[in-house]
Amino acid sequence: MAIPIAYNVRNLIVRRGTTLFTMGGIALVVAATMLLAALVGGLQQMLVATGEADNLVVLRKGATSDGSSQVTRDAAQALRALSGVARDPTGHPLASRELVNQPFIHTSGGGRENVLVRGVEPVAFTVHRAVRIVEGRAFRPNLGEVVIGRGAVARYAPGGVGTRLAFGRRLWTVVGIFDSGGTAFDSEIWADVNDVQDDTRRDGFSGLRLRVAPGDDRGAIARRIESDGRFTLEAKPETTYYEEQAETANALYVLVLTLGAVMATGAVFGALNTMYAAVAARTAEIGTLRALGFGRGAVLASFLTESLLLAAGGLVAGVALAAIVVFAINTLLSGVQFSMMTFTVATVLLRLTPGGALLGFVFAAAIGILGGLAPAWRAAHLRVVDALHRA
Amino acid sequence: MTYPRLVLRNLFRHPFRTVFTTLSIALSIFLVCAVLTLPSALDTILERAASNVRIAVHHKAGLTYWLPFAFVNKVRGVPGVVGINHYSWFGGIYDEPKNMFPNFAIDPDTVAEVWPDYQIEPEALARFRTVRNGALVGETTFNKFHWRIGQEVTLRGTIFPVDLTFRIVGIIRTAVGNPMVFWFNRKYLEEAMEGRGGFGRVGMIWLRADRPEQVDGIMRAVDDLFRNSEAEVASETEKSFIASFFSSFQGFIRVILIVGFLVVGAVVLIAANTSAMSVRERVPEIAVLKSLGFRRRPILLVLMAESTLVACVGGTLGAVGAYVILGALRAAGKTGAMPFLGPLASFNMSPSVAGEGLTIALVVGLLAGAVPAWNGARLNVVEALRRLF
Repeated sequence: MAIPIAYNVRNLIVRRGTTLFTMGGIALVVAATMLLAALVGGLQQMLVATGEADNLVVLRKGATSDGSSQVTRDAAQALRALSGVARDPTGHPLASRELVNQPFIHTSGGGRENVLVRGVEPVAFTVHRAVRIVEGRAFRPNLGEVVIGRGAVARYAPGGVGTRLAFGRRLWTVVGIFDSGGTAFDSEIWADVNDVQDDTRRDGFSGLRLRVAPGDDRGAIARRIESDGRFTLEAKPETTYYEEQAETANALYVLVLTLGAVMATGAVFGALNTMYAAVAARTAEIGTLRALGFGRGAVLASFLTESLLLAAGGLVAGVALAAIVVFAINTLLSGVQFSMMTFTVATVLLRLTPGGALLGFVFAAAIGILGGLAPAWRAAHLRVVDALHRA
Repeated sequence: MTYPRLVLRNLFRHPFRTVFTTLSIALSIFLVCAVLTLPSALDTILERAASNVRIAVHHKAGLTYWLPFAFVNKVRGVPGVVGINHYSWFGGIYDEPKNMFPNFAIDPDTVAEVWPDYQIEPEALARFRTVRNGALVGETTFNKFHWRIGQEVTLRGTIFPVDLTFRIVGIIRTAVGNPMVFWFNRKYLEEAMEGRGGFGRVGMIWLRADRPEQVDGIMRAVDDLFRNSEAEVASETEKSFIASFFSSFQGFIRVILIVGFLVVGAVVLIAANTSAMSVRERVPEIAVLKSLGFRRRPILLVLMAESTLVACVGGTLGAVGAYVILGALRAAGKTGAMPFLGPLASFNMSPSVAGEGLTIALVVGLLAGAVPAWNGARLNVVEALRRLF
C-alpha cells in the first residue's frame, strides 16, 4: 500500500522554511539554465528562420558573407540572364542585386557600432518573401531614403518614420519600417542600391540573391554558376548560408549544457541536505509507518515523491522566473546584441523554446531524483525497532 | 573546549551535510569565476593590447570607407608624430572560408616605429623589409595552421580580384602583440593590382605619438587637416578603437552576468537552508550553553563562523578548480584537438576573478549564517529548555 501524497505535501508545508529555500535554489538553477537556452534559442531561431530554400546566395568564391564579397556589374548582368532564374509575370528576372555596406552608426544609447546597410533594387522585396513594409512606404531611388528593420528601430531610429539618420557620407531619411518575421534582416537598414554605390564609391555589388524558377534544380544552377569560366563565384541556398552563420550558436549550446549541468549538480547537493534532514527529523514517524504495515517500497517511494515535489515546485517557479527575465530583457533592453559574420550588430530577441523548457525539466527531474534517492533509501532501510526507539 | 574546536566539532557532526554544502558552494563559485572570466578577459585584452600612444585614423563614416593613399604622407607633418603606418584590409581566405584571420597590407619600413611594444625580432623585421612577398604572422594564427618560417601560403582575395602567395618571415608573439594578425607588404598588393585598376587607397592610418600627453593634440590636428576634404577622418586612441569592437558584446555579457547572479542566489538559499537546519537541530544545546552563562555574542559568532568557514573552503575549492580547469581547457584548445570547446577555451582566468569569487563565497557564508545564527543567539532559554524536557 502506498503512503498518500497528502502526507508529503503536509510535511513540506510544516517545514515551509526549508521547503521554500530548497525550491528557491532549484528555481534559480532552472531559471539560469533556461535563460541561457533562451539566448541560444533566439540566436538559432533568427538564423534558421532567415532565408528561403528556393533562393540562391551568389558571392565571390571564398567570401564568408555578403559583407566581404565583390561581384562586378558584368557578372551580375550575366547572372540575371541565366536560365533557371525565376521571372515575375512581366518577364523581369527575380534576381536581387545587392550591395552590403557596414558604416558606423550612432545608437540611441550614445554608442557607435557597425550597422548593416543593404543597397537593393525594388525586386528585392519580391525575392525576399519574408520582408514586408509594415509602416510608411518603400524608399524611392536616388533620394537618400531608407527603410529600417523592426529590430533596429529602437536602437538607431527611436523616432520611427521621418527620422533623419546619419551614416556614411550623408544624412538619410527613414520613410518606412519593415518586418521580416524575426529573421536577421530585421536588424538591417535597406536603401536604394544606387545611393549605396554612390555613398561607398563602389562600382558593382557584393552579391546577388536569385529566386530559382519553380521546377528547376537549384543545385544544378549553383554548379553552373560555380563552373562558369567568366567569373569566380559560388552559389549556395540562402537557408544554407544562414545555417552556416549559426555555427557560433551551436558552440554556445555546449556552453549552456555545461553550465546547466554544473549548476544542477550544485543543487543536487542542496536537495540531498534537505532530504537527509527530513529523514533524520522523521525517524520516529518512519518507524511508526513501518509498524503500521507500510513496506520498505512504500517508504522509499514516499520520500522520493517528496523530493520530486520539491523539484516540481522549483521547476514551476524557475520557468516563471525565466519567463519574467526574458520578457524584461526583450522589452526593457529590446533584446541582446550579437556581432555577426559581417562585423555588424544584430539584435536577437530571447526565446523560451520547448527545447529550453525540456532542458529545465530534465535538470529539475535529475535534481529531484538524485537528491532524493539516497535519503529515501536510508529511510526505507531503517530498522523499525531502532526507529521506534527514538520516539 | 576552545571556540575554534567547538566550530570544527559542530561541522563534523554531520560530515555528509558539511561536505555537500561545501561542494555546492564550490561548484557555484567555480561557475561564477568561469562566467566572470569573459568580461574580465575582454578588459585584459584592452589593457594589454592597446597602447596609449597609438592613434587610429580612419574615415569618419566607417571602416569600409577607404581613404586616399596620399593622406599617409599628409599626416607626416603633424607635430609629435614619431611613427606612421597603415592598414588596408585584404580579406584573404586561407584554404577554407572558415579559416578567418585579419590580413592587412602595411608598410614594412616603419613597423618598429609604430609597434615597438610588439618586440618583433630585428632579423624578422629585416626580412620583412627585403622579401617582397614577406608576411609577419601573429603567434595564434601561425600555430593554428602549423606554419613554418619560410613557408609559402596563398590567400584568396574576396574583395580584391587577386590571389596572393606570401612567404612567412616572422612571428608576432602573443604576449606582446596581436596574436591573430597577418601583415604583408603593401607594395606587393599594389603590383598585383597593376592593370586591374590599380590600388591607390588605404583602409586606415596608424600614428604613434612621442608622449601620451600629445595624443589629444595630434588627434585634433589630424581631424582638422582633412576637414572638408574628399574624405573626412575620425581619429581615436587604439584603446577606444578596440573597445568599439567589443561594444556589441555588452548585451551578451549582461545576460551572462544575470546568470551569474542567479547562480549566487541559488547557492545563498542552499547554504542558508543548511545553516538554518543545523541551528534548528541544536536549539537544546544552545539553550544549555546559554543557561551555563555563555552570552549572545560568542554563540552568534560560533554559529556564523561555521557557515563562513564552509563557504570559504567551498569558495577556495571552486576558484582553484576554475583556474585549473580553464587553464587545461585553454591548453586543450591551443592544440586544436577539441574545436567544439569554442569560447570555453579562449580565456585565462585572472587573479582578480579568483578574488571576486572568494569575496562572493565569503558574502554567501555571512548571508547564509546571519539569520539562523541571530535567531539561535536570541533564543529564549526557558522556552527552549521546556521543549527539551
